[in-house]
Amino acid sequence: MSTPASTAKRSGSAAVAAGPTAAERLTSLMPVLALAVLVVALAAADPDFLRRSSLMAVVDAAAPLAVLAAGATLVVLCGGIDLSIAALASLSSVLLALWLPGLDALAWPAVVAVAAVAGALQGAAHVFLRIPSFIVTLGGMSVFSSIALVVSGAATVPVVDDTSIRWGFSRVLGTVPSAAVVAVVVVAVLALIVKVTPLDSSIKATGYSEAAARLAGIPVDLVKIGAFCVSGACAGLAAVLLVARTFSGGPTLADSLLLPAVAAIVIGGTAITGGHGGVWRTVVGALVVTLLRVGLSIVGVSAAYESILYGAIIVVAVALTLDRSKVLVVK
Amino acid sequence: MSIGAAGPLIALAVVVVVFAALNPQFRTLGNVANILDAAAVLAVVTCGTTFVLLLGSIDLSAAGVMAASSLTVALLVENTRNDADYGVLGILVAVLLGAALGGLSGLLLVLLKVPSFMTTLGVSAVGLGIATLLFAGVQPGVVDAGLRGWATGRFLGFTHLTWIAAACVLVGWVVQRHTRLGRYAMAIGGAEEVLALSGVRVAPYKVAVFTMAGAFYGLGAVMVTSQLGSGVVQAGADYSFSAITAAVVGGTLLVGGRGGVLHSTVGVLLLTVLANGLVLVGVSPYVQGGVQGLIVVVAVAAAAAPLRHRNQVVK
Repeated sequence: MSTPASTAKRSGSAAVAAGPTAAERLTSLMPVLALAVLVVALAAADPDFLRRSSLMAVVDAAAPLAVLAAGATLVVLCGGIDLSIAALASLSSVLLALWLPGLDALAWPAVVAVAAVAGALQGAAHVFLRIPSFIVTLGGMSVFSSIALVVSGAATVPVVDDTSIRWGFSRVLGTVPSAAVVAVVVVAVLALIVKVTPLDSSIKATGYSEAAARLAGIPVDLVKIGAFCVSGACAGLAAVLLVARTFSGGPTLADSLLLPAVAAIVIGGTAITGGHGGVWRTVVGALVVTLLRVGLSIVGVSAAYESILYGAIIVVAVALTLDRSKVLVVK
Repeated sequence: MSIGAAGPLIALAVVVVVFAALNPQFRTLGNVANILDAAAVLAVVTCGTTFVLLLGSIDLSAAGVMAASSLTVALLVENTRNDADYGVLGILVAVLLGAALGGLSGLLLVLLKVPSFMTTLGVSAVGLGIATLLFAGVQPGVVDAGLRGWATGRFLGFTHLTWIAAACVLVGWVVQRHTRLGRYAMAIGGAEEVLALSGVRVAPYKVAVFTMAGAFYGLGAVMVTSQLGSGVVQAGADYSFSAITAAVVGGTLLVGGRGGVLHSTVGVLLLTVLANGLVLVGVSPYVQGGVQGLIVVVAVAAAAAPLRHRNQVVK
C-alpha cells in the first residue's frame, strides 16, 4: 500500500538508530526453534520419523515449495508481495508439458525464461504505473490462470517423454532427492549473488525506506523489477520440479501452493513490511510448513485443518515479524 | 457529477451500445434479465468489499467466507445430507457466520496491526478449511423449496436474486450516506490520522466495516448456494478478485475515501455486461478471468495517474 514519503523517511532513520531489538533477535531465531520443536515432536509421536527414508521424503516434498517461495522472498524484502507465483507456476507447468515434445532439452530453460519475463512485466507495471504490488500480482494471477486454462483446454497435459527434466525428480548418490539439491543450489546462488554484490544493501534499503533509498541514488525501480523477475523465474523452476514428479502439467497444478509459500516466507521471519529477512530463512520456513503438513497426518488430524492452520500461521507470523516502527497507520 | 465520476457510467453505456449493435440476441429483454440475474451475487459481494476499500484497506476473504457460509446454509436448511430443516433461521446463521469471519479479519487488523490483505488472506484460508470440514466428502444438496425459489422464482420478470441484490445495494447506499458508520468509513479512508486526532476511536468502526462486509459475503454465499442447488467449497472462488475489480472499475479508489456503493454497482454491471457480451460474441469463458485481470490493472493505473506528482511510495 502507499505511505506518504515523509512517514517512510522518519521511520527509516529510527530503524537505523535503534538497531536489533530483543523482539527482533527472538524472531530471527523463531523459525529454527520452530523447526527443531517440530522435529522433536514428530520423532516423539512416531519414532519411525527419524529414519533416513522419511526425512528424505520430507526434504523432497519441501523442495518445490522452497524454490517457489525463495524467489518471492526477494519481492517481500523490497516491501512488496507477489501473489501470482502459484498461478505462474501452474501456467509454466502447462507450457513445459506442451513444449517438451518439440523443444526437448530446451523446453525447461524456455519455460523459466518466459516465467522470468512474466515476472519482470508485473514488476514494470508495478513500478511505472504505480500500482500496489498486490493488485498487479492479483491481476497477474487471473491473467496467468486464464492463459493456462486456454492453452491447455482446461485439462491436464500429460508428459510422455520426461528424459530432459528427469533431473528434477531422481536421487543423487542413491538417497538424496535431486529436487532438494536443486532447491539448495538455487537458494545458494540467489543468496551468493545478493551477498557479493551491492544488491544486499540495495534490496534492504528499498524495503526499509524506499524514499530514502531513492534519494541515496539506489536504482529502486530496477531493483524492484529485478526482484519480480527472479520471483517469476523461481515460479518457472518450481513448475519444472512439479512436472518432473507428476509427469504432467495442469492449469491449476500449483495453485494450492500460494498459501504455503506465503506461510513459508513469513514463518522464516522475513518481515512483510520489507527490509528484514532473507532467502535461507524461507528454506527453513518451507521445511516448517512441510513438517506441519506431515505432522498433521501422523497425528491423524483431517487434512481439512491444514488450510485453517495456514491461515492462522500467516496472521501470527506476520504479527510477530512486522516492523511496527514503519506502520503508523495500518490499512 | 464531474466527467471523471461519470466515466464508468459512460463506459457502461458504450459497452451496451456496442454489444447491442454486434449481436441481436444481446438486445432482448430476456437477456437484460439474464444479465441482472448474473450480476446479483457479485453486486452483493461488491457492496461489502466497497466499504472495506473506502477504509483504504483491502479484503481478500470473500472466497473463504463464502465457502464456509455456503456449506453452512446448505447443511442447515432442508438438505440431502442430514435431517436439519431450519429454513430462514439457517440462512440467518450462514449470514452471521460470514459476519463473524469478517469481524475476525477486522479484529486481527486493529489488535495485531497486521495489514488487512494478510489478515483477510488468513481468514480466507480459515473459511476454506471450515468449508472443507463441513463438506466431509459428500456434497449437501439443497431441498428447501424456499431457498431454491430464490434463484428460480420471478417477480415482475426478474429473479428473486436480482431483487435481493437491488435491496442490498439500497441498504449499502443508505448505510454509506446516512449513517455514522458510512461517513466515518469514508473519513478513515480519506485521512485516518486527522480523524484519530479529532478524538474519534477509529478501531471499532474498522471492525464494524469488516463485519458488515462479512455479512454481505455470507448473504452472497446463500445466493450462490441457491443458484447451484448445493453447498460448494468453491462457491466464492473468484469473487474476492471480481469484487475488487468491479469496485475499482466503478471508481472506488484503492487508496480509500473515494467512490461508494453506487459507483461499485456500475462497475459490477460493466463487468457482467462485458462477460455476457463476450460470451454471446463467442469468446471462451476461460479468457474472461484474464480480461478482468487486465481491466483491474488498467483501472487502478488510470485512477493513480492523477496522483503521480505526489511523492508517494507505492508498495
